[in-house]
Amino acid sequence: MSVDDTPQTEPPTEEISLTVNGETVSAEVEPRLKLSDFLRREQGLRGVRVGCEHGVCGACTVLVDGKGVKSCLMLAVQADGSEITTVEGLTGDGGALHPIQEAFHETHALQCGFCTSGFVVATKELLEENPDPDRDAIEHGLADNVCRCTGYQNIYEAVERAADYADEGSHGGGDG
Amino acid sequence: MKPAQFEYHRPDTVQEAVELLDEMEHRAELMAGNQSLGIMLSTRLATPENVIDINRLDALSGIEVADDRVRVGAMTRHREIERSDALGRAVPMLPEAAEQIAGPAVRNRGTFGGSIGEADPAGNYPCAMAALDGTIHLRSVDGEREVPADEFFIAHMFTELEENELIVGGSVDCSPWPSERSGMAFDELKRAAQTWPTVSAAAAVRVDDPGAGDPTVEEARLALANAADVPLGVPDAEDAVEGEPLSEGSLEAVAEATMAAADPEDEMHADAEFKTEAAAEYARRAIRTAYERASG
Ligand code: FES
Ligand code: FES
Repeated sequence: MSVDDTPQTEPPTEEISLTVNGETVSAEVEPRLKLSDFLRREQGLRGVRVGCEHGVCGACTVLVDGKGVKSCLMLAVQADGSEITTVEGLTGDGGALHPIQEAFHETHALQCGFCTSGFVVATKELLEENPDPDRDAIEHGLADNVCRCTGYQNIYEAVERAADYADEGSHGGGDG
Repeated sequence: MKPAQFEYHRPDTVQEAVELLDEMEHRAELMAGNQSLGIMLSTRLATPENVIDINRLDALSGIEVADDRVRVGAMTRHREIERSDALGRAVPMLPEAAEQIAGPAVRNRGTFGGSIGEADPAGNYPCAMAALDGTIHLRSVDGEREVPADEFFIAHMFTELEENELIVGGSVDCSPWPSERSGMAFDELKRAAQTWPTVSAAAAVRVDDPGAGDPTVEEARLALANAADVPLGVPDAEDAVEGEPLSEGSLEAVAEATMAAADPEDEMHADAEFKTEAAAEYARRAIRTAYERASG
């Protein structure tokens, strides 16, 4: 299928200003630009994975004002004035892994890794709301994310381990 | 870029929004949580000239419980409905319906009004609103009007909403459902978070005396999602349980009445016959659960 993308007229644009991983960013964007494409292509944040591009896989999950959002179902222009955190924003000084990332690494909660940033970000929101989730809560908390290769058991274990690290309060970098 | 080009409008007030709508009518699409529209834009099944983003209309967001009436603003997110204690006390069916929608990231964005406007036969709120005899509140430049939920839904993506109207919210009269002797249930058959439910059943039951061993059902309401192309009320099932304590016999009558009323479409993973049987089983479960909850 070929789609004629040639705009008939000058494409309309909008000014936006937002915070991305702690830094203020201003840009002029076409309204149809998805937040996922804005972050990945224009801001170079390759941790924002673009999988299905229509809300099914969760690979593009980021935090918008602290809440998990599928960034392919939000327009960049809608993020005007918001605070965005991507997986890159979780790491500590010098790239030190966040305890959640540490836990994913240790429990082999990834194979190809395509889905991982989405899972890590979703886990961040989940643990903030429920620091000690049981399996059921973990399953529900990660229900928007799909992994095609690892299987979910190791991912659930990673979340449990990350919750333990947060309890100990002393593991890894970042702000866990 | 996946969506086709469009002009973006972000009104700050409801009045501004309905004026824009009035000016553009069919040339504009309203954007609420964008969890369904976003898919249509990505696949270019929707290619609107204009998008009116109503996410900054704070006046449309929130839950109000006053004088036996519950009002939910159109831009209230599923997460807020799911977690509302006020709704949990007054109409627990709504939070129970909300918490079963997709996963948290979708519930953080998706809205009550968006789901009502989409009118998917499998949608949770349309079914719950039909079960509760709810009212849908609409606004245009000409003012507000109210439409009963059972008249609002016409077919998938077809509703009573006019091109120049905006859904501002929904409301439910909760006086028939005093919490100390009423119970509600929203029960769905769904295999994965990302999919629509195969069928769902919404039930509300009020009993005479929850302290009694087998209290009598004074009033019952039942609606099903995805068992027809609109939310399906089953008055025969309600009649079958009212006026006596719930029994296996009356539950059987609920299942039979549901089977007779259901008229679902075949789907890839569930043909009409399976959906009809599932609807009957979920109707039975929802009524039973609501009765148990009403009986304390
Ligand atoms: S890329 Fe956003 S959900 Fe798949
Ligand atoms: S690790 Fe490959 S998709 Fe999850």
